[in-house]
Amino acid sequence: MRLPKFEYFEPKDIKEAVSILKNEPEARILAGGTDLLVNMKHRVECPPVVVNIKRIADLDYIRQDNGDIRIGALVPLKRLYMTAAVKDSLPGLARAASAVGSYHHQVMGTVGGNICQQNRCKFFNQSQWWRSSRPTCFKAGGEICHVVNKKEICYSTYCGDLAPALLALNAGIKLAGDGGEREIPIEKLFTGNGKAPLSLTGAEMVTEIMIPGASIKGVLNYMKFANRDSIDFPIVGTAFWASAAEKQYRVAFTAVDRRPVRGKNIEFFLQGRELNEDNIKAACDLAAAEASPVKTSVYSPSHKRKMMGLLLRGAVEKTLNMK
Amino acid sequence: MKRAIELNVNGDPHELLVAPNQTLLEVLREKLGLMGTKRGCDLGACGACTVLIDGEAYLSCLMLAVDATGKEIMTIEGLAAGGDLHPLQKAFIDHGGLQCGFCTPGMILTAEAILNEDEHPSEDVVKKKMAGNLCRCTGYKKIVEAIMSVAEQSTADA
Repeated sequence: MRLPKFEYFEPKDIKEAVSILKNEPEARILAGGTDLLVNMKHRVECPPVVVNIKRIADLDYIRQDNGDIRIGALVPLKRLYMTAAVKDSLPGLARAASAVGSYHHQVMGTVGGNICQQNRCKFFNQSQWWRSSRPTCFKAGGEICHVVNKKEICYSTYCGDLAPALLALNAGIKLAGDGGEREIPIEKLFTGNGKAPLSLTGAEMVTEIMIPGASIKGVLNYMKFANRDSIDFPIVGTAFWASAAEKQYRVAFTAVDRRPVRGKNIEFFLQGRELNEDNIKAACDLAAAEASPVKTSVYSPSHKRKMMGLLLRGAVEKTLNMK
Repeated sequence: MKRAIELNVNGDPHELLVAPNQTLLEVLREKLGLMGTKRGCDLGACGACTVLIDGEAYLSCLMLAVDATGKEIMTIEGLAAGGDLHPLQKAFIDHGGLQCGFCTPGMILTAEAILNEDEHPSEDVVKKKMAGNLCRCTGYKKIVEAIMSVAEQSTADA
């Protein structure tokens, strides 16, 4: 499968990358390539310009900064779970990184790229030949959704493994763009629009992920259910963060909605409570209503809803066993 | 527009003219004639196209050739030193870790990357990291046995 033709740039620094992105609004950023190049081979993304940011120096760091951890966008996923600073203080984040794809994807894929991956749908992530048997869907540039019969809304699902873990950690995302640098909470990075899942504007690119020191003091767990545990995207993924001393909790899910979602009702219920059997059961019962899964994969929405509660229970029990 | 690049493959420099949309896999097979690197799914899901880049396992079907400049690329053709098979190649033969052989280059190079990272990996680690390499013939058991025999051999030598 040949890649479509494109113009290729290799900026040496962020300023140059931003200036290319500004001049070429249709350009796509290439980092690990494990998401973009597959989509290009499938002809669901055919950008006229590809900007390879891997030659930019000093974007692959993991630094401790006043108790926070700062991770450069180009850090390979493998390094996230091999580096002592992450493995020891945030084993849940290391687990989420090691749950991505196969070993090769973890070697090639980057933290920034994993967060910024395209939404997925069983009608979108297919070859051109497969898709040719029916009208082109919204996400691939057509005028119809094969999943939900509503006009002009793409229901494709966000399936990243890192995002729920970072949502539960209250991570910040640093962006560089035409208007300079800004930092936003990771929740604000996702639009909930399946066709354009990221809120990047004005030639922006993700440059850094910041995990606050307060979150590092808590315990994070990530549980993933996938067809093949060793390689596939999640059918459902659940991250659970707990600060036992303050009885504070955060919950996030992936692969169940158009963006990774926080379990706000679960968090509200658990706040200040002990993690005993009654409270765990009540929290897990709330899980199914936290997202609106649709049939974008071979698994039914009702199955996904059930798995959300089951995975949350698994993550909570794992957290209790770690204490 | 094509670009002039230099690729260092198996220790040899090659000056090439490639288009930006050519993958490393295409260039290795079609321009350099290194057919040991296999085109399987061509979408990064089977591991047959694995090559080593600076000692790490990369999927050459998902890497642009222009992106591989300045790196040490190793294909299966470069693994054996002189006339002697690499210990992993020998172990695959001794343990019957192959049948049709299509997945074998990718398997061996991924195994080499795992052993580069940790000389004595546990069987669980080997199984997890090899999971991205698919084999439709042998059933994996003998492949894992072959890799573990090399890992254990290096333990015995240490």
